[in-house]
Amino acid sequence: MVPLQEGMCPGLDGDLLRSLLAADIRTVEDLVSSDLEDVSRKCSVSYKALFSIRRVLLAQHTAFPVSGADLYEELLSSTAIISTGNPSLDKLLDSGLYTGEITELSGGPGSGKSQVCFGVAVHVSLQLKQSVIYVDTTGGLTASRLLEMLQSETSDGDEQMEALQRIHVFRLFDAYSLRDCLSALRRGGLLQASGGGSVKAVIVDSVSAVISPLLGGKQNEGMSLMIQAAVALKTMAKDFSVAVLVTNHVTRGGGGGVQPGLGASWSHIPRTRILLERVDRAPSGCSSTLRSATLIKSSRQPCHIKEEFDLQRQSRSVRSSSGKRKRDEADS
Amino acid sequence: MLCGGQLIRLNELLARLEARRCLKDIEPRLFSEDEGPQHGEVVELYGAEGTGKTELLYHLLCRCVLPEAAGGLEVDVLFVDTDYSLDMLRLVSILDSRLTSAGLEEAALRSSLSRLLVVHCSSSSQLLLTLHYLETTLNSRPSLALLLIDSISAFYWLDRCEGGASISRQEEKLSKCAELLGRLLRDYKFTIFATCHTIRRSSSGSAASCSSTLEADRPYLCRPWQRLVTHRVLCSRQEAENHTAGGSREEKRRQVFRVHCSSSSSRTKASRISSFCATDAGVQFI
Repeated sequence: MVPLQEGMCPGLDGDLLRSLLAADIRTVEDLVSSDLEDVSRKCSVSYKALFSIRRVLLAQHTAFPVSGADLYEELLSSTAIISTGNPSLDKLLDSGLYTGEITELSGGPGSGKSQVCFGVAVHVSLQLKQSVIYVDTTGGLTASRLLEMLQSETSDGDEQMEALQRIHVFRLFDAYSLRDCLSALRRGGLLQASGGGSVKAVIVDSVSAVISPLLGGKQNEGMSLMIQAAVALKTMAKDFSVAVLVTNHVTRGGGGGVQPGLGASWSHIPRTRILLERVDRAPSGCSSTLRSATLIKSSRQPCHIKEEFDLQRQSRSVRSSSGKRKRDEADS
Repeated sequence: MLCGGQLIRLNELLARLEARRCLKDIEPRLFSEDEGPQHGEVVELYGAEGTGKTELLYHLLCRCVLPEAAGGLEVDVLFVDTDYSLDMLRLVSILDSRLTSAGLEEAALRSSLSRLLVVHCSSSSQLLLTLHYLETTLNSRPSLALLLIDSISAFYWLDRCEGGASISRQEEKLSKCAELLGRLLRDYKFTIFATCHTIRRSSSGSAASCSSTLEADRPYLCRPWQRLVTHRVLCSRQEAENHTAGGSREEKRRQVFRVHCSSSSSRTKASRISSFCATDAGVQFI
């Protein structure tokens, strides 16, 4: 609700404002929805003046329709596909993360969500030489791990430092700071936060860690915070043409299978959803680094296609989707 | 010119009197004989995530903006996008495949897209103000016959939290939008299609009782909106059938969506169930 203020538009002076308040018209919405003839009689103001004020306020606060053709042209020129650095994931995502959209990675503990996010951040900052904004709510991000991943890609120390500088980390641990941080990023522009570099990816790891403690019961505030954070992420993705990657935990569904958490209201927010799971195949007893990714929601590919990859060697895929196993004796 | 206590300009009066294209025949496979949405009717597409609502919406949108040579109705459409979910690339790929199968060239794509107007709203206050501004758009475009809202439930939780403890304050903004839409429908006689997301997950599984799905399908938006809705389309995902080993892999992967349309308009109470699957070229009814 936008309250009426003096000087908001030409013609809305102090006297008129006072008489409108006396007639119980406090906000722009009230003025626009009221019967102007009625109001002009009650406040003894000319109908013409009210009509022109209404028209100016409407023009100031409405969203304007855009032609589909113009929107499409704009989208063609601004959409980019950001490779995740992991060929198996890229195959699932139809070549990579699309800018202007939210992609969700869900999985249980230890399924590799954070590792995949690190991989994406490293790939974008090193290979694509673009800035990354990383919002860490779990405390799992350490610079030494990022450096380790960078060192396995390139041995040039300067390049490693430059790539690290392009990853901007925000650490927050509750839903209110998440919402405020995302709103500030959206308003102030990502450019400011990234110190001038062009941001191509925003990673939030993880959304559910801060939101799910507030859900449940009869409180509405948790759901509202979740939707506010989602709206901030979406508008950021669209307005600044960035790819947004978020992570989510999993819960047991009614039929016994795993499904992404945060409920039905969150499920409409991401455009693409991937479920990560551990692959228990090795009988040797050592912990496997194999993970399987299943596409559970997509507007571009048929759902439920699966890909497997090795966390240790993210830039190379170990298995193809046809299931033929190749014994790879390369360095660990 | 004064008319019933409200000042109306002559061109506005003409815009109201001129009949807009009736969309009764928008999709005969979805709505039963003569049950399609007529002037001033509202269709609500309701379903959980991944049940094909957006695909259906794009299918109807394409049907409206395509030229008659490609099987369309050539009417203008206004798309109100409340949760930034409009996927223009997917829409254009559906339009493109329909136009190429009808043998039309590139220019037809641009002219079809120019019949589409898109508005983004980021809060229910902005939605209310935009709907007020809609009157000007309706006056200037007599061929605007369809308003698509995706989705009408996007601000539900935000309004609920803002309204505090009083339910009437929570529902106030959406009620005002619904009342305004009702007045516009009566005056200008266009049609509305709106999607509504579920807020509760229905427990799946073969042992799931009917009552849990009914619980999830119960309308939860405010009364003025529910009164406005004349056709309700419930979308759900059909459990993938087990094909025999002889069936092709492509068939096995095709997800089939089930649609149950019920109309509660004053004419008759009818309902119809249809199924479709989503292909690269859009929705294909089975």
